Amino acid sequence: MNLIRGFATTIKHVFEEPVTIQFPEEERPVRERFKGRHALKRYDNGLEKCIGCSLCAAACPADAIWVEAAENSDEARYSPGERYARTYEINMIRCIFCGYCEDACPTEAIVLEHEYRLSFNDRVDAVYTKDMLIDPVPPGGQDTPQVTEPGKFTRSIPEMKDPD
Amino acid sequence: MTDTVTITIDGQDFEVPKGMNLVDAAKLHGIGIPVFCYHPKLDPVGMCRMCLVELGNVAIDRTTGAPELDEQGNPVIRWFPKLQTACTQTVSQGMVLRTTSDMVVEGRENILEFLLTSHPLDCPVCDKGGECPLQNLTMAYGPGESRFIYDDKIRLAKHVPLGKLIYLDRERCIQCARCTRFCDEIVGDDVLAFHERGRRLQIVTISDPPFDTKFSGNTTDICPVGALTTTDFRFGARPWELTEVSTICPYCPVGCNLNASTRMDREFGGKAMIKRIMPRQNERVNEIWICDKGRFGHHHSRHEERLLAPLMRNKSGELVEVEWPAVYKAIAKQLKAHGDQAGFVGDSTLSNEDLWELRRLAELSGGSPRLGLWPATMSGGDVVAQVGVGSETRLQDLGPGSVILVMASDFEEEAPIWWLQVKQAADRGAKVVVANARPTKLDRYASAVIHYRYDEAVGVLNSFTAPLLSGDGQLGQGNGWGALQSDLQNAEVTHADTANLLASAENLVIFLGSEGLTLEQHAELMQAAANLLIVSGHVGRPNNGLIPVWPGANVQGAWDMGFSAEATADLLANPPALWVIGGADVAGEDIRMATALEQAEFVVVTAQFMTPTAAHADIVLPRQSFAERAGTYTNGLRRVQRFYPAQGPIGDALPDWKIFAHVSAQMGGPRPPVAAGTIFRDIAQRVERYIGMDYTRLAWFEPQFPDVGGDDLYYGGTAYSNYGGLGLQWPAEAEAEQPQFSVRPVRTAAPQTDGLTLVPVWVLFDRGHLFEKSELMHHRMPQPYAAFNPDDAARLGLTDGDRVTLAVEGHELTVTAQVGDDNPAGAVLLPRRLSGDATLSTPAACTVQKIESMQKVEG
Repeated sequence: MNLIRGFATTIKHVFEEPVTIQFPEEERPVRERFKGRHALKRYDNGLEKCIGCSLCAAACPADAIWVEAAENSDEARYSPGERYARTYEINMIRCIFCGYCEDACPTEAIVLEHEYRLSFNDRVDAVYTKDMLIDPVPPGGQDTPQVTEPGKFTRSIPEMKDPD
Repeated sequence: MTDTVTITIDGQDFEVPKGMNLVDAAKLHGIGIPVFCYHPKLDPVGMCRMCLVELGNVAIDRTTGAPELDEQGNPVIRWFPKLQTACTQTVSQGMVLRTTSDMVVEGRENILEFLLTSHPLDCPVCDKGGECPLQNLTMAYGPGESRFIYDDKIRLAKHVPLGKLIYLDRERCIQCARCTRFCDEIVGDDVLAFHERGRRLQIVTISDPPFDTKFSGNTTDICPVGALTTTDFRFGARPWELTEVSTICPYCPVGCNLNASTRMDREFGGKAMIKRIMPRQNERVNEIWICDKGRFGHHHSRHEERLLAPLMRNKSGELVEVEWPAVYKAIAKQLKAHGDQAGFVGDSTLSNEDLWELRRLAELSGGSPRLGLWPATMSGGDVVAQVGVGSETRLQDLGPGSVILVMASDFEEEAPIWWLQVKQAADRGAKVVVANARPTKLDRYASAVIHYRYDEAVGVLNSFTAPLLSGDGQLGQGNGWGALQSDLQNAEVTHADTANLLASAENLVIFLGSEGLTLEQHAELMQAAANLLIVSGHVGRPNNGLIPVWPGANVQGAWDMGFSAEATADLLANPPALWVIGGADVAGEDIRMATALEQAEFVVVTAQFMTPTAAHADIVLPRQSFAERAGTYTNGLRRVQRFYPAQGPIGDALPDWKIFAHVSAQMGGPRPPVAAGTIFRDIAQRVERYIGMDYTRLAWFEPQFPDVGGDDLYYGGTAYSNYGGLGLQWPAEAEAEQPQFSVRPVRTAAPQTDGLTLVPVWVLFDRGHLFEKSELMHHRMPQPYAAFNPDDAARLGLTDGDRVTLAVEGHELTVTAQVGDDNPAGAVLLPRRLSGDATLSTPAACTVQKIESMQKVEG
């Protein structure tokens, strides 16, 4: 009897639609909070959100992030405030996709996106530089460095809501 | 009367020194009272109110004068009704403190809440973030949330340049006044001040040029927030990412202990580079201060013009790159061919190990080695060995009863941190006597100022010694006493008051420079100083003796290794056919040297850059900067101090010792040593003064008070705890149990002739081939000039700003004339190393010709 029940289950599955998908032609959508490859975000005007504070690197348990900062000026502005990331690198073989960097970021500049197709033939290729990580300039925005009005972007950290 | 009192802190009894304030007293026993405005090196002001404690004294019965006792027989404590600032209260017997009570905790919370009302929340971009006293103390004692309304925050300018080296962020400033008090109390430069009142209170610079002090960088260290940042480091790295490497400043005889904060950098090929230079606490040397030259003068270590490979002249006379083994062979061949016809010169930036290997090479070359040091401006290494200051001398111990004589030196330009310490000693009550041919900045803190003509220097010291020579003296016979006595019996006593002051001093320290003196005159001056110290009995104990203001970081070490300025002079007088020059830019600094090198048959130079000296050379060897290798320097107080490699090597450059050792090996010498420590072991076995020293012993350290750095950033700012070694001082001969003193009469210089004398002087921010590479300091470097006395200028028909030609020993120099009342008559003051043109290193007679107009020169 048990034998029949077992085969019945098997036969039932034969007629069901297969769960296998034909990657890479087909892709299964990931969950909203899936943690894939990082992206560096921009404000609507094109300025980079990243201020080069290196807190992501400090939070990183795998020591995968490398940040070097430099100073903004109104003639060549990358981000609001005084500081921006001159170098921003993430070593994707080291990264464990824990998302601590995202939690540590004071400007919500680094976000783990949904891209998970990461493969490399070389260790050096696994190091994603700032050019590779940064989002494209949004429509209506300007690429960095920008020439900006003096005194307009004096603050690195966006205004916080009144703590009530 | 005992020197300690007993106080009770949080129920525990402690013995503390009398007169100490409560913050220091608690700190001494490991109890932290948080502070912002208080700094252990500054006078307390009680401005920030962070150090509030509950304080009680033993109640005294006014009728009997005895302490009141309660029923149990314990003394009654009378508590202050309100919290007291611990920094402004000094300890007294029986005092009781509570530092953790509810009232104190609430007080601290309220102060922090208040300090943070307008402090910006930009810790992520702040250079201080991570080593910030405000951040740390807020975490430790802060209230967690604020009752103040966020929209009421005051917004102020965040990018205010105070000069070109320091930026001020007005929002971050918590008005502790550490920076203004540092400038007023420690430096005495009135350059920073408060402006406005109350919440509008802000720091402004009130000098022109702005922030005009040689010590500006120190304000960023002691700033308890990120309000002051340096141009050099701004956003260079986060503090927790930096690796601290102990090193020693390569510029002046003070030998400041430094920490090089290093970090890897993409722009430096992914290698570790020095991001900033910070002071390292050594209470025996620089305390916690450094000057701006030491702080910002590190850029030469990784400058793009660094020499990367050995260069050798080919048949057509061009310098071309070659491999190391080829140059070793070529040098060895030349040395063998020239035999004893070789001269060796070592620079003051060479470490003891470099100089030792250079000496070994010279010994292998045959003949008696001719070992010159550079700059060759000061004589008297033997005098220092005899009567140098006693071991464990601390300039910060000099106070009432001490006399400090500073002679023939523009002290602030030549040894800034000693200047700072002498100035503070004067503030504490030490008497400072300044003797020079012209006014210097130290004059304003001096009890007596003596201005003499340059040729009278020895006479001034003799006139101090002469009155002390009555009687047989304590030295007995056979040590030159009699000769000195008969020589000085008719000496004119010109400065009787000052002579008395020096003779009656409890402690006497003499700082001796060489301004306006030739090498022979300086040798006599050193002996005259030794005579004075020996005759007045100020030798052989701490805080007494001679400190030479040597013209470089390791001049003392060079003397110890057998190099001398006299040998350099001899090399100039009888030039060798073959020169081996270690590190020094002799041709760039001295026209006589340039001429000598031109006439030489073969010149070998180790250099960091293509200096004029290197351009003269037949073989140029790339040497490593102080930042890339290990070694030791011996400072003006004879303290041997270690430095460690901070950066990776650049190109094929090698440390000088390795280069010299490899050539020695080619000459049939021993196999090259593998590390600097091995050479130092060799030195310690063969140089008597260094016996018993080794790298491990030089690296010893002990807890120092005040305890700055480490976990207690709030206490002293970000100066660093010393884990790299406090160094060892070798004792002077006068400290022996039965010292053998010898005095001798000194020759006074022949009076100056009518003509003008060219007097080379030092300026701190010069264009020496290393410091020049720090481009951010260029604005502090004066334009080349020659300074004239108004009378001389009138006679020559010169006015301020005229172009003049100085003719000296067949060479001509063209400079801009500067006429000022402070300049001594009969002398033309010519700063060294201000232009690319070589000048002179020792005084010489000169003639001056005015250039009538620029067109004429071109025509």
